[in-house]
Amino acid sequence: MRFMVIIKSTPEAEKEGAARDPQFLRDMGKYNEELIKAGVVLAMDGLHPSSKGARVKFSGKNRTVVDGPFTEAKELVAGFWIWKVKSLEEAIEWVKRGPNSGTGDYEVEIRQVFEMEDFAPMLSEEEIQYKIAKRAELPNQTANK
Amino acid sequence: MRFMMIQFPKVYATAKPGWVPDLKSMEVMGKYNEELGKAGVLLALDGLTPPATMSARVSFKGGKSTVTDGPFPETKEVVGGFWIIQVESREEALEWASRIPASDDEMVVEVRRLFDVTDFDPEVQKEIQKRFGDAEKQ
Repeated sequence: MRFMVIIKSTPEAEKEGAARDPQFLRDMGKYNEELIKAGVVLAMDGLHPSSKGARVKFSGKNRTVVDGPFTEAKELVAGFWIWKVKSLEEAIEWVKRGPNSGTGDYEVEIRQVFEMEDFAPMLSEEEIQYKIAKRAELPNQTANK
Repeated sequence: MRFMMIQFPKVYATAKPGWVPDLKSMEVMGKYNEELGKAGVLLALDGLTPPATMSARVSFKGGKSTVTDGPFPETKEVVGGFWIIQVESREEALEWASRIPASDDEMVVEVRRLFDVTDFDPEVQKEIQKRFGDAEKQ
């Protein structure tokens, strides 16, 4: 099954041009190499601080854009992986092996990714196959790997 | 530049285990996804099950890790899914986010720029290419 593993932000990481602890970055690099070697990683990316981002709120036909930064740093996404593992337990084991130097406290959230098959029987087999095929055309779609 | 549009659906904080979206909202969102695909801006998209279905958090504090099983009732905003798009500007990303067919109070969408290799200085770029060349190309 696939999981989205979300690295939550911290007030320090949200600061513009914040210099990350070099030891933490080295540890994270090594950890990423391990994950890739083990064939666990389908995708990974890091996000710029929320100060460069925005939020869109919906109300009827109206859209309101609110520019970042956003204050709840603990709930902000700083980066993510998409992993392919056998179980939630396996995902937890991998997360626990992540960088833990004791200097940078952080939190990671592990969430199950929907597969098209999860929408049966609401979607017919034909519709499921259509959606899978459409997704397979996307350049970065992780379900194809 | 690449942007991630992250949706925070209101229903996710309290959704029951095994929750799936209803057919109507899947159809409406499916049309929007097709538009993104046709415009050639869509790189990836995925939906997440609500925290009550299967989730956990791991906190690292002072060198120790603590595992908490989901759901997380104290959290108001929960990630429900994402799109990754490739566009020319932040404005274009916001334009696409504004076209998401969401109704009143259904969700908030956050638009965040993703780091590209070219955002780092040349030294670091070389290091990234050396270590993760293949993973970064996907």
